[in-house]
Amino acid sequence: MTTLLSTPAGWPRVVTAGFGAPDPLDLDAAVAGGAFDGLKKAIRTHGPTGTIALLRVSGLRGRGGGSYPTAEKWHACATAEGSVRHVVANGYEADPATHVARALMEERPYAVVEGVAIAAFAVGATESYVAVRAEYGEAVRRLREAVARAEAAGLIGANVLGTGRDIFIEVRPVRGAYMLGEETVLLKGLEGKRGQPEQRPPYPTEKGLWGRPTVVNDVVTLGAVGWIVANGAEAYAAIGDPATPGTVVVQVAGAVEEPGIAEVPIGTPLREIVGLAGKMASGHRLKAVVVGGVTGGILPPRELDTPYAAAALRDVGAHVGSGSILVADERTCVVDLATLLTRYCADEACGKTIPCRIGLRRLAEIGERAVSGHARPNDPILLADLSEDIVASALCGHERAATTPLTSVLRYFRPELDEHLLRSTCPAGVCHPVAVASAGSAT
Amino acid sequence: MTDLIVRPTDADALAERLLTTQSPQRPQSAPAIRLEVDGRVIEGREGQTILEVCRDNGIEIPTLCYEPKLPGFGACRMCVVDVEGEEQPPISCSRAAEEGMKVQTQTEELRRIRATNLELIFSDHNAYCLPPCQNKCPSHIDIPGFLKANAEGEWRESARIFKRTIPFPSILGRVCPAPCETHCRRDEVDEAIAIRDSHRYAGDQVIADMAAGMDPPVPFDLQPRTGKRVAVIGSGPAGASAAYYLLINGHDVTIFDRDEKPGGMLRYGIPEYRLPKERILDREYESITRLGGVFACGKEFGKDFTLDDLQNQGFDAVLIAIGCYDTNKLGIPNEDADGVIDGLEYLKIATLGLEYPGHRGTRVVVVGGGFTAMDCARTSVRQGCAETTLVYRRDMKDMPAASEVHEAIEEGVTAIFQAGPTRVVTDEANRVTGVEFIRMQLGAPDDSGRRRPEPAPGTEFIVPCDRVLLAIGQGPDLRWMGPGNEGASATKWRRLAVDAVTFETGRPGVFGTGDVRMGAQTVVQAIADGRRASYAIDAYLRGMDLGELRTRQTLAEPQPEFLSIVPFTGEVKEPRIRLRSMPAEERNHNYVEYEHPYSVAEAVAESTRCLQCTCEAIGFCDLRRLGIEYGTTLRTLEPQHDRGAGYRSVSENRFTGVNHDYVRDDSHAFILREPARCIDCGRCANVCAEVVGAACYDFMRIGFDTLVTTPLDMSLNDTPCVSCGRCAETCPTGALMPKPRILQKYDVDESRCILCGICVDACPYDALRCGPDFELAHTSREHPMIDLIAIAALDRETEMTYVRRERDWAERALAEGRPVRPDRLLPVLPAGITSGGGNGHNGHGGTPGGDGAGAH
Repeated sequence: MTTLLSTPAGWPRVVTAGFGAPDPLDLDAAVAGGAFDGLKKAIRTHGPTGTIALLRVSGLRGRGGGSYPTAEKWHACATAEGSVRHVVANGYEADPATHVARALMEERPYAVVEGVAIAAFAVGATESYVAVRAEYGEAVRRLREAVARAEAAGLIGANVLGTGRDIFIEVRPVRGAYMLGEETVLLKGLEGKRGQPEQRPPYPTEKGLWGRPTVVNDVVTLGAVGWIVANGAEAYAAIGDPATPGTVVVQVAGAVEEPGIAEVPIGTPLREIVGLAGKMASGHRLKAVVVGGVTGGILPPRELDTPYAAAALRDVGAHVGSGSILVADERTCVVDLATLLTRYCADEACGKTIPCRIGLRRLAEIGERAVSGHARPNDPILLADLSEDIVASALCGHERAATTPLTSVLRYFRPELDEHLLRSTCPAGVCHPVAVASAGSAT
Repeated sequence: MTDLIVRPTDADALAERLLTTQSPQRPQSAPAIRLEVDGRVIEGREGQTILEVCRDNGIEIPTLCYEPKLPGFGACRMCVVDVEGEEQPPISCSRAAEEGMKVQTQTEELRRIRATNLELIFSDHNAYCLPPCQNKCPSHIDIPGFLKANAEGEWRESARIFKRTIPFPSILGRVCPAPCETHCRRDEVDEAIAIRDSHRYAGDQVIADMAAGMDPPVPFDLQPRTGKRVAVIGSGPAGASAAYYLLINGHDVTIFDRDEKPGGMLRYGIPEYRLPKERILDREYESITRLGGVFACGKEFGKDFTLDDLQNQGFDAVLIAIGCYDTNKLGIPNEDADGVIDGLEYLKIATLGLEYPGHRGTRVVVVGGGFTAMDCARTSVRQGCAETTLVYRRDMKDMPAASEVHEAIEEGVTAIFQAGPTRVVTDEANRVTGVEFIRMQLGAPDDSGRRRPEPAPGTEFIVPCDRVLLAIGQGPDLRWMGPGNEGASATKWRRLAVDAVTFETGRPGVFGTGDVRMGAQTVVQAIADGRRASYAIDAYLRGMDLGELRTRQTLAEPQPEFLSIVPFTGEVKEPRIRLRSMPAEERNHNYVEYEHPYSVAEAVAESTRCLQCTCEAIGFCDLRRLGIEYGTTLRTLEPQHDRGAGYRSVSENRFTGVNHDYVRDDSHAFILREPARCIDCGRCANVCAEVVGAACYDFMRIGFDTLVTTPLDMSLNDTPCVSCGRCAETCPTGALMPKPRILQKYDVDESRCILCGICVDACPYDALRCGPDFELAHTSREHPMIDLIAIAALDRETEMTYVRRERDWAERALAEGRPVRPDRLLPVLPAGITSGGGNGHNGHGGTPGGDGAGAH
């Protein structure tokens, strides 16, 4: 189990509150701890539109990477044409380096179930799904058990809390590749089709699962919903950055002494978040942080004061993405790292569009040429041009974001890249057969 | 995804899905909307996409993955457009048109994005349009086509395919330098196919059949007689080829020649041991007389008759094809000495096997490196010269006749390379006693890519001899110009001035073709030129606009665009089957043809080695069309130095990297799958699943290796395929194609046919049509014949279809002001936008040929 990092006393715990309970499936204990208070309040006090209005005040945004206001998504779905609606909780944690969603699903299954139920109630969905990565066997087991117990207790299922409304939740393990994390791909997966994204618009809120209006929310987003409804929108809006309030669960990994996950208020500077994971491993120096998982931006130490918030991160060429923050020390070659990440993205592409299927591979090849000493004269220009064109004609977020690692190398680590391209040396001593720079010249 | 079982959906949802996956609905009752596209206000209906509105209004937006029967798919990203107020350009196939929208379809950024996408596709497109051999052939013979016929032992069909572009398979099978073979892709496996020897065999079978009373095959349907009369002056390869195609087109042709017998350079410039005159030349020339052509020999143009005479006699058109007979001079001292002989004069006598006066026992020096020089040298050996020395100023590999030099040396010729003559050494009676040469060193490469020879001072040496044969190239004899022949003029290079496309001279109704306009070139080039001229004359006689002809001219010129040379490493290695030659000591004193022909088994085996590198989609391929428009294709096999070092194929551009080489699936009876040509647009998969319902294909694998193919790449025969051909119909490239050459083999058993007409209705390629009997059952049938080979009749009609398609596209592009890169234009493009004055061909557009070494 991933460690939950200790955070300063004043930091609120919205999603991770209750982590480490002796039996996460103990419904009575969970209800005693406040589980389903939000659902009850939504049904009894706010009603569907009131719940959406409350969420709008709270300022909750999607935690799956898109940062889209959750209330707007629900509103769009609730008002879309159609008689049948669905809610899909995205528990397909595609990024191989993060376990935030898994931790939540295993530690607080009732929070996920409650979040889905509130969403279903707010948009008017009868059938909802929690799509969980099939490899997360324990999460699937616990969620299924949680759904069964909640249904037995009348908290969900037929005639919820005596309202006459039916809210059925089904836990669906889905198996596929990285791309299943994208919302339209996930829907295809649930429909039993090949996992390839669809052009948006129309958005799933209009035409989603089986062509019906569908809310697709990350489980981490939904995990906060119960707390917000129970504790009030203002309580949530008061947390962190006033423009995009709330908390976000991040995972700090890499060359740090205590890697783990932590819930941090949005807007916390990167330096502080990295600091939660303890000192750098065995006295090495921090060289770069990869912010946003495999499609993340590689930032140098001087950007560590950047607040961890969508807009600020976009300005420095990174994104929240999967919530992963990977710390690299001076033993890492950023060119090699960026190439590895890009190649991963290229290999995991679904293969639908030209810029993604071929473009990402060509992008990775530029990196591979640099690290193997076969660079072509125009490679830096080609890298910039190709990245720009891939972003401009992208179908989904994957190909757009996958250009980030290498472009951030161009932006922040140009001298190190040039060492590879022009002198065939790798200052970090990683790349072969590129000559390794002598110890003295390594800076 | 075993855990994923699709829930049975309720009936409404299923119906809803079916509706949305069928043809996009365009209710005519939907309210009209107006939007501005490229500054033009156009009208559409609510619910239409931007692409649909634009197409309805004649505005072209490029697409590759869009299938009109289905909703937009969004895979190719070619249809991106700019919508005012939006940062990211949306794709027009999926984006709904909205009232008041302002759309740009051709901004610089959009074109850049599209070009990048095309380049990315090409960087993984291990394919070609025309096979390299056909590309390299000046006449663009359908080489895979006739080799396939050969492999099946269909010699007459093979000769018929050959005769579509060249009337003389046997003659060319002996004298062609075979540029095709140097580009054969089989060479990457083991050895190039013996293409020339293969059509020689097929042609020889036709000649054998003629002895048995069969007419030679005619490549096209004979056209009704037009009553127009054409005079062709000169019966060499260019004139004869023009006459042949004019006769097929229904015109009456008289061919004038100053010599006793027709054939020109073929008869009087090529020795008997290379081209037997009675056995081969006369027989193949019979195909002209059998079509009604008349030879008028012994009549010299300029002496016995003039253009005025011909036109007064009522000839509607005159074609000047008198070739090049004026041997170039060396321009060195004593060139007029006694014993210096014009090589062509010599050959004219000697090729017929006649003794040239006083040649036996002499020492001969032949100057030149072309086929004429080679023929002079090898004939001199046969005529008993004491010593024969061939001197050429460049290296052996740069010699135009390099292929023959080893045989000449075997026969006893001494060859000296890199030496240029400086003077002829004479005695006091002005008789030749030797030639002084100077050593040449190789300098910088010239325009032809060969290094220019430069004299090395102080290296002079003398080769003693009695006779000098000059074979350093020829120009046309233009002394006939003047009274009676007004209107025809010469270029500054001393060639007949002829439009490279319409073949018109300055005189109305008079045309010129062959060496007289190109300078001395090879036989195959002359024949190609003659054929093109015949189409020009045909158009003129039919009163067509000759300007229009610039486009039509190309019907015979399926120009290649991009080609890729990819090693076929998986092939079984079989060496080429070579013709056996007579021993040198036996052949060097007689004129019998020195190469023994193939046996039947050898001819079949050799043709079977052909890899059939043909793309059936040429002319229909959207990728090629867009590649041309966006300047992302290559035109030649030659390295493109201006685009960086050594780009030789389409897959070589700025993104060149790892690419795929897939095995083609030939197993299905009607549908040929060439995954190497697949661009993963998904159209076949979508159409097959959503329209047909069979779902044979889908996107398989992941990442860069994604390919639209059958499950486990199984044969189409093992899928639920219903052979409807819709996949091949929708495929924008040649990845899925009907198999015309197989289709044409199907026969209707008329005794069992119940005239139901279902086959006709079902066939997506019009391979089947209704015949007269069908008229009884279906009165509305248009084509009154059972024509099983309609699809295979890849004759001029069919070729015209795709020429027309390409032209229409280009005209639209120009009319809409979209830039079309002139350096990449196909000659199929309309008049006025073809680049330069050339006919679109490298190498023979009217410039004087190379260093002018004698060429056949």
